[in-house]
Amino acid sequence: MELLRSLAARIGVAVFVTLLFVLAVGLPANVQAGPPQLEEPKGGGECIRPEGWMRRNHMDFLKHQRGLTVREGIRVRSESLAKCAECHTSHTRFCDRCHNYVGVAPDCFECHLFPE
Amino acid sequence: MTMDRRSVLGLGGVLAAGLVLAPGMRLVAAPENVTEASDKRRWGMLIDTTHCDAACTACTQACRTENNVSIVGDPQRDIHWIRKVDLHDKDGRKPDRSLPVLCNHCEHPPCVHVCPTEASFIRKDGIVLVDMHRCIGCRYCMIACPYKARSLVYSKPKVPPDANTRVPIRAKGVVEKCTFCVHRIDDGGEPACVEACRKDGGGSMLFGDINDPNSEISKRIREVSTTTIRADLGLKPRVHYQGI
Amino acid sequence: MLSEFSAIEGRSPRYWMLVGLFALVLAVGMGAFLAIEVYGHGITGMNNQVVWGMPHVFAISLLVMASGALNLGSMSTVFATVQFKQFTRFSAFLAIVLLVGGLTVLLLDLGRPDRLLLPMLHMNFRSMFTWNVFLYSGFLVLCLLYLWSMFSYKQFTKVVGSAAFAWRVILTTGTGSIFGVIQARDVFHSAITGPMFVAVSLTSGTALSTILLVSTYRRTGRHMDEKLVFGLRNALIFFTLLVGYLFVVEKFTKMYSPAFYDVELWLFTGPWAKLYWFGVWGCCVIFPLMILFNGRWGNTVHGVMAASGITVVGVFAFVAHVLLAGQSFPFDMFPGYQLSSVFLDGVDAVYTPALVEFALGFGGIALSGILFLLGIKFFRLLPGRAVAPKGWELPWSP
Repeated sequence: MELLRSLAARIGVAVFVTLLFVLAVGLPANVQAGPPQLEEPKGGGECIRPEGWMRRNHMDFLKHQRGLTVREGIRVRSESLAKCAECHTSHTRFCDRCHNYVGVAPDCFECHLFPE
Repeated sequence: MTMDRRSVLGLGGVLAAGLVLAPGMRLVAAPENVTEASDKRRWGMLIDTTHCDAACTACTQACRTENNVSIVGDPQRDIHWIRKVDLHDKDGRKPDRSLPVLCNHCEHPPCVHVCPTEASFIRKDGIVLVDMHRCIGCRYCMIACPYKARSLVYSKPKVPPDANTRVPIRAKGVVEKCTFCVHRIDDGGEPACVEACRKDGGGSMLFGDINDPNSEISKRIREVSTTTIRADLGLKPRVHYQGI
Repeated sequence: MLSEFSAIEGRSPRYWMLVGLFALVLAVGMGAFLAIEVYGHGITGMNNQVVWGMPHVFAISLLVMASGALNLGSMSTVFATVQFKQFTRFSAFLAIVLLVGGLTVLLLDLGRPDRLLLPMLHMNFRSMFTWNVFLYSGFLVLCLLYLWSMFSYKQFTKVVGSAAFAWRVILTTGTGSIFGVIQARDVFHSAITGPMFVAVSLTSGTALSTILLVSTYRRTGRHMDEKLVFGLRNALIFFTLLVGYLFVVEKFTKMYSPAFYDVELWLFTGPWAKLYWFGVWGCCVIFPLMILFNGRWGNTVHGVMAASGITVVGVFAFVAHVLLAGQSFPFDMFPGYQLSSVFLDGVDAVYTPALVEFALGFGGIALSGILFLLGIKFFRLLPGRAVAPKGWELPWSP
């Protein structure tokens, strides 16, 4: 029993150290220096909301519009996800860069198609 | 008089354009910025099986292109929003029929009744939809639907190269089905299958508001004898069939 | 007199080997879940005709047995069957571990298990699934309270035990009604699908309890009075007759109606006929009764064990038949017509279960197994010596 216990403790420490090592080696590859560089929107027009507001609230905003559109059948075409995609034509060069930077993984793009 | 190849094609093109434009005219109007599904409406369909050719797949093809329903390649797991079913009378008295079967958008849809998360729901205008953001993939709806209208996405879907960006694809693990092309209806249009049937098929599909007594579909349903699939179940389907 | 409750020692290498074996199966099961999660249900044998496969057979069988495992407890607490009073703790605990195993399989087979919390946020109270969410969690709570009261607050045992008994009847009716209420499916749309599940839970729960009790006492070298095993045998005979009765009533009612001629003939002679005759009738009713009623076999512990084993196989066969045959029978959308289409209308659905499905299912069993093994080691669930109460004699023997 004693032997088992000390063995288990040693294995535990070994696993922990290995994990630390993997993290230390693996992390810097994904972390960029400085804030992410996002692609400028095409078309040069104004966004439908101020930039700062969008940065903080776009997720709730999109979710709200999604509920309206899907479940209530209310389509506000000037504020739809398709409208976003008119200027932000690529989600990989706009949305994803920031999402990766802050470490969130929304599953919008599993289904919603962007022009590019 | 002889015609060269170019002018024959040209003439055909003009004729085709003329045919297409006339019934499509009302579709041209640009959608307003904000539209809302109306609870006064009940969208329905009438399929005249006497004009449906067994070899024709215009409706199913159009549906695949419009809604990005790609072929998986495994007949057991292919996804069908609309499919052609061939009917052969077991007693040989009635003629063989071929007809499309799609989601019937029932008034009492069993799929909606059994869905634990209300992912399947009835929109205000009677269209039965799946909220893909809420589906947990339990497949109880597929057990409950007597029309086999639903398919589970068994693997990561392929994005067709010429995908229609207006319609999102569906992620693996959710259940999908016909939406009556809800995005086209909201823009004042009609489902892709109906449009394709008129253009390239026998013109046997009619779509409209069955709550409006003056709509063409309401008149036709009053005039001709129609039936619905499994009317005995009391689900009140909104896809009506003529000629069976 | 009833002897004191005591935990098993659980120090022998064979005990830990058994735990290790279950842990291995559980690990394989988790691997199967991850594989399905990553690659999608495409790697299972399920398809768009048969959408519920082996994971559901395993899960629902475990859930049915979970409610049945409470039998011994209910018999003693509610129906004052004194000789089983010593097994009430074991019974409530077994119900909990089987429920946990079954529910785990059910939840891990979802197409989007990452959205597991959604059913808690949005509930459709018309869905049998939503009902079952409450029924299962309620059952779990009641079993825990029942167990707790037996350990510390004996004055509440009667109340909680009775509530748990009522709950389990509703619970299994709810499980059966997942199928019974589906009007579209001719095979299992019936008012007595629910009661049939209850009856099958009575047999399989009693059978599994018998197997576990006898083997636990044998393996730990403790004493268990054979009379108790034969008491369980008598209960099993009674429940098995009930199952047979409900099977007959269901078939009789359906076969009386011409609308069901096709489907019933298909069930008796079609692709699932073997499972029906050998699995459902054979393992659930006929084989166990043949053994239990036999004057020689029925009076040996081995005979009762064998009959119990067959009964446990029977519950899997029953659930598999309901599910798989139920989904394979083609819809008759246009009566009088022969259908054919690219979506396989009008033909029997084909389903070949894949290994990952079995791995996931056995993972659930292994989870229940581990919890059970650890439970009897760390809690005082079983009496040190299981003896029949003084003055109690077997009322009947074959």
